[in-house]
Amino acid sequence: MSDPVLALLKYVFLALLYLFFLRVLRAVWVETREPPPAQFLSPIPLPVSEPAGGGVPIMDSSAGPERLVVVSPEAMKGHEFPVGHEMTVGRAGGCAIFLPADTFVSQLHARLFRRDGDIFVEDLGSTNGTFLNGKKVSAPVSVRKGDRIQFGRTTLEVRR
Amino acid sequence: MTSPPLLTTAPPKPARRRTELGLIVLVVILTGGLYALAGFGKAGNLPANIGPFLGALFALLLIAHVAMRFLAADADPILLPVAGLLNGIGYVFIARLSPHEARLQAFWTFLGVAVFIATLVLVKKGRYLERFRYTFAFLGIGLLLLPLVPGIGENINGARLWIHVGTFNFQPGELAKLALAIFFASILVERADLLSRGTRRVGRFLILDPRYLAPIVGAWALSLVIFLAENDLGSSFLFFALFIGLLWVATGRAYYLALGGGLFVVGAVLALKVIGHAQSRVQSWLDPWAHAQTTGYQIIQGIFSISGGGLWGVGPGQSSASHIPEASTDLIFAVIAGEIGLVGATALLIAYLLLVGTGLRVAVRCDNPFEKLLATGLALVIGVQTFVIIGGVTRLIPLTGITLPFVSYGGSSLIANYLLLALLVRISHDVETPVPPMAPELVTV
Repeated sequence: MSDPVLALLKYVFLALLYLFFLRVLRAVWVETREPPPAQFLSPIPLPVSEPAGGGVPIMDSSAGPERLVVVSPEAMKGHEFPVGHEMTVGRAGGCAIFLPADTFVSQLHARLFRRDGDIFVEDLGSTNGTFLNGKKVSAPVSVRKGDRIQFGRTTLEVRR
Repeated sequence: MTSPPLLTTAPPKPARRRTELGLIVLVVILTGGLYALAGFGKAGNLPANIGPFLGALFALLLIAHVAMRFLAADADPILLPVAGLLNGIGYVFIARLSPHEARLQAFWTFLGVAVFIATLVLVKKGRYLERFRYTFAFLGIGLLLLPLVPGIGENINGARLWIHVGTFNFQPGELAKLALAIFFASILVERADLLSRGTRRVGRFLILDPRYLAPIVGAWALSLVIFLAENDLGSSFLFFALFIGLLWVATGRAYYLALGGGLFVVGAVLALKVIGHAQSRVQSWLDPWAHAQTTGYQIIQGIFSISGGGLWGVGPGQSSASHIPEASTDLIFAVIAGEIGLVGATALLIAYLLLVGTGLRVAVRCDNPFEKLLATGLALVIGVQTFVIIGGVTRLIPLTGITLPFVSYGGSSLIANYLLLALLVRISHDVETPVPPMAPELVTV
């Protein structure tokens, strides 16, 4: 085979090599746009009593515009949980806000729910308690944008 | 209320395996093309065994792919193809340099894929490895010590890191790296909290309690001594960088990097004073032309090869690379850069970047802290090793004998790399598989 042909084939090979990387990068790109793994655990719809007046429709996946974003620990920072109609928080697989790495979180630690457009947090008898902006949560309290909720060692911030 | 299935297993990700299969086909086409090109470039005709070569390559990657479908169906799709590409490119250049070594490398590749599958079968979950931490510690240190045993140990090129059994030479240090990476990850996870804040009061300051640091530093010092006794500076650096990197990631404290850098400088100065081998390495790094016919010969030939390649290379099989000492192992990057140029060499670097990046991406997604740290460690092993040898060949740092992962000729290195790949694949699969749920009646309120 003559030299120009070989040279040409070499360029073809190098071009194909870069096409391969483009293909790989595309695969990586698709992956990184997927939601983080914690989110594919779907929230468990819990039996909810109709609110007085029955004005609020109950939807199983009624993720509103609010999100809970982990601010600490560093390892989980940036994880996001859309706030659904009714969500459990804990270390048990199946909790909508699933915090398996934090050993200070109880299996079933707390719950978040919506009533009349507000979001409430309620401690479910956890060992280490739930704190809203540093204050211990003893009865269901409403949370607003910018509030920080702490379960065990994990702190989440409410954002929209 | 009829409750939906609480938590079934993760939705399967067939897309990932399909992507992988597509990439594998591309790898076979690329490697086959390169093999043919190298044959034409070197001898002017198609290599005689191109048929069996393509068949064996495709079969091997396909077997590994099918094994992954059964054993790690949700694992990342680019790990295996990128490793396969590197292995394939490496084989082509080894075959072009030495047909004898190529036959052996083919054998080691078969064994490597077998080890890959066996690891996936044996290690059901990455986190199970944590239970055997001290087994791995002793295994690692034992493997490191093995070449020092008279009778089976052997000196090659001034470094004593080979064992000789029958007709096979084996470098147990390659496997020791993995065993110790597992050990470090498991012990650092347990102590991350203790190591990241001071607990002992000295005057006004809280400092780290040395008790918690002692066993780790002990293990590090011991293995460093072993490496120095074996004159293997590249591995010594790799090992140290792995240790410091993991310490940093586990604690999130940047001062460990500074501490590590300081310790490294002290160690390097001491090594220079003590080991003659190291002195000549540094001399031939700073000024290879002063010893062009002796210690600097190898690195100068490597540089000639790289510069001769220019941007596009002289073409596969067309350079006169076979006179470079250790062309198929330590200096294979120089040969590749010479024949497919800066563009091809950059492609090789991209492949390593993708492997390391994928390893770190897996680590970021891990929930289990041990798996997170182990994945980081495995990515670090590939990254640091690549940096040390390519940096050495391009004269960024002193040249030390360490293999280019998946590319260099060498059985122990190839097998260790496939083992590493299998562990990354296993962890990457685990990440996508949710933790089994508790009994449903406990979950619902």
